Amino acid sequence: MTTAVRAGLRGRALIDGLTQVLGTGKVLGTREDLILYEYDGAVDTATPDAVVLPNDTADVAALARFCHEHAVPIVPRGAGTGLSGGAIPVEGGVVVSFARMARILEIDVANRRAVVQPGLINLHLSTAAAPHGLHFVPDPSSQKACTLGGNVAENSGGPHTLAYGVTTNHVTGLEVVLSDGTIVRLGGKAEDSEGYDLIGAFVGSEGTLGLVTEITVKLTPLPEDKRTILAAFPTMDQASASVSAIIGGGLVPAAIELMDQLATQAVEAAVGAGYPLDAGGILLLEVDGLRDGLDDAAERIEAVCREHGATTLRRARSALERDKLWAGRKGAFAAMGRLAPAYYVQDGVIPRTRLPEVLRTIREVSERHGLRIANVFHAGDGNLHPLVLFSDMSELPRVHEAGLEILTACVEAGGSLTGEHGVGMEKNCYMPLQFSPADLAAMRRVKRSFDPAGLANPGKIFPTPSRCREFQLHQTTAR
Amino acid sequence: MSAVAERVTATSATAAAETLARASTERRTVRVRGAATKDYLGDLAATDLVLETAALSGVVAHVPADLTVTVAAGTPLADMQRALAQHGQTLPLDPPHGDRATIGGVVAANSSGFRRARYGGVRDLLIGTTTALADGSVARAGGRVVKNVAGYDMNKLLVGSLGTLGVITECTFKVLPMPAATAGIRARFARAADAFAAADAIARTPARAAELVVEGSDTWQLLVVAEGAASAVERTMTIVASAAEARGSAERDPDIERGLAPLRELPGTADGILIRASLPPAAQTAFAEIAMQLEGFARLVADAASGVARVHVRGDDDDMVAAADALLAAARVCGGSARVERRPERLRQRVAAWGDGDLPGLFLMRRLKEAFDPNGILEPGRGPVR
Repeated sequence: MTTAVRAGLRGRALIDGLTQVLGTGKVLGTREDLILYEYDGAVDTATPDAVVLPNDTADVAALARFCHEHAVPIVPRGAGTGLSGGAIPVEGGVVVSFARMARILEIDVANRRAVVQPGLINLHLSTAAAPHGLHFVPDPSSQKACTLGGNVAENSGGPHTLAYGVTTNHVTGLEVVLSDGTIVRLGGKAEDSEGYDLIGAFVGSEGTLGLVTEITVKLTPLPEDKRTILAAFPTMDQASASVSAIIGGGLVPAAIELMDQLATQAVEAAVGAGYPLDAGGILLLEVDGLRDGLDDAAERIEAVCREHGATTLRRARSALERDKLWAGRKGAFAAMGRLAPAYYVQDGVIPRTRLPEVLRTIREVSERHGLRIANVFHAGDGNLHPLVLFSDMSELPRVHEAGLEILTACVEAGGSLTGEHGVGMEKNCYMPLQFSPADLAAMRRVKRSFDPAGLANPGKIFPTPSRCREFQLHQTTAR
Repeated sequence: MSAVAERVTATSATAAAETLARASTERRTVRVRGAATKDYLGDLAATDLVLETAALSGVVAHVPADLTVTVAAGTPLADMQRALAQHGQTLPLDPPHGDRATIGGVVAANSSGFRRARYGGVRDLLIGTTTALADGSVARAGGRVVKNVAGYDMNKLLVGSLGTLGVITECTFKVLPMPAATAGIRARFARAADAFAAADAIARTPARAAELVVEGSDTWQLLVVAEGAASAVERTMTIVASAAEARGSAERDPDIERGLAPLRELPGTADGILIRASLPPAAQTAFAEIAMQLEGFARLVADAASGVARVHVRGDDDDMVAAADALLAAARVCGGSARVERRPERLRQRVAAWGDGDLPGLFLMRRLKEAFDPNGILEPGRGPVR
């Protein structure tokens, strides 16, 4: 991949300049240091010109002012778990790591809010809030590593967002530093603020509108109890038809996860969660809330699953059993190493009722390309995660081709290119599949309003002529 | 500006966009009108054109098992609810003027009701929009799926934009199955502090009340609605009763909606001045105690779970103006913000809708307004960005 470098200041001059502004111990610039920041959870790489580790908002504002003056792109980075290349400095510039801004500033029990720094690890917040009977709802599978700042940038979800919403539904306040160094505080502990909903625009903007330096989130009372059910079906069609039937029947569980046989096999080998290996499709369902009514809900779910041909139905009898069932789901991506040396995870969304047909399309894509594809996903949201397995990088073009065909099927079914992993530099060329030139022009107006200089994480979300020409030619030929 | 505005009926998103493009070129100002239920919001100005959305009507798509609905923006909310009810579903929004308000108006005014306590407000339920813009283009954002992070969440900017960024022509929402059971409790307290303390005790449990409303003037009430499976509803009633009886008295109210309806409709019925504040939940007691001291204080109504409190003041003009100023300042001191939701026409010059108008991030809002409506034709002066 070619990198379109546009940084106005590079090399020694950039490192020295940043060190002068921020002091020693905050700027990394040696080759050995920089290569540690050239990748994230996705497949693309690019080496930053410098890495900065700010201690506080003042540091972030100072580095942004410096970069603005010298036309240097700024790319925020949390834990680097992102799956769309959001933290990759594709146009060069400075990577800003929030590793040193990782504190909980306040757990405000009376207001059910927490004020945190962007580098805080997602799970640490819920752990700290648990003694007060509260938790932070979004629970991405990477929650042991991913940061709140990354969650805000990507508008992260997780299995339990079906009933409780994604990150944007839980953020009430932000402190942001714009690409020119201006510090802006938006919202606070109240749910609304007057004027346009700038927080709503900022959450999910993937670092392209500025850098987040402080976050106020809602904390939600922990459910009193849960019922977790494993349902195994002979086929994926039966499993996915059950999902529509459960939701269409008037029950919205807290989570509905689906896994196909290939994924189950990998998970069993790695985690030993107790999933039946002979099943074509497995559903993991959870209902939560007040204890009363949970058994009824679980029985209704089990009845629907039975009607749709479930061969195994197992309800977790203890917290330990529940954790084991969830460990399988949350460890699924990591378990793929059992099946192949590498995988490429997709993140399309479809209306729930289109699950069976789109899953069939994925099977066809798999056969046509001779690539194994495992499916592990948030079925309740219609958020697919096909994992395209491969062995060596020479297969990558074919893998991307398969991924694109799946995404195209999602969009054609009335869905979206991405449900929670973001557009980043992975799908920016694909944006025209889902959005018209007018739709994208409207988004560009937002971009220009926050970041007129275009220095906040450039090369992300929007199609860029240099990187997307090949894709556009390809699309034209295909038509 | 002509004395009588030219009325234009929007027949499609494209036609609306063409009207806007022409108006923008000719520098003619445009007001967007649904059912005109919320003319009291902000500073409505006389415009050259009035763009009517009523003809953009009807449910465009509803797949019950997807739990989503797409509806044209001029459709009355009540009509859409009736269509959903035929499939046992509902959009859990109960804004004021729910009998007449259009979907587009509800979104543009960010008009949520008490059910926000459990189900979230407009911003949480809206997943897709189509909008006619001042440059003549039609922009879609979001989609018809419940989870979607492709590109910026433009829907959020439209919620509460009062027509100042574009004309919403179509909306897609998440919907829910109708609850299997519903029940209500009405509790009475001597002091505001007790009512809010009871509400807080309930909000901190996993009970997830559907509506948690504090109302008061001389004496204070807490009205709670629980929805869901019958056994969970019963248990919630027990939790609510015990939280309330620790501080006052409580009784089951089989017709609690009769008590809630007038509170919900306060924005449409209040004479005098109505202030709407959004507060950190724990600051509501302090805000209520400030409000009660004010000359002209008539009533406070709060969605205590969300921290949205409305204060009705009436009486002498000077007292009302002083009370409005004090309440806007109090909301800020309490860590929130407020606006004047309604005031008599004669006080428009003395009571600014957004107080001193110094909003956090106002310069960004101005840039957005400039980017979407460079000639300033859309609802000029209506919102806080001017």
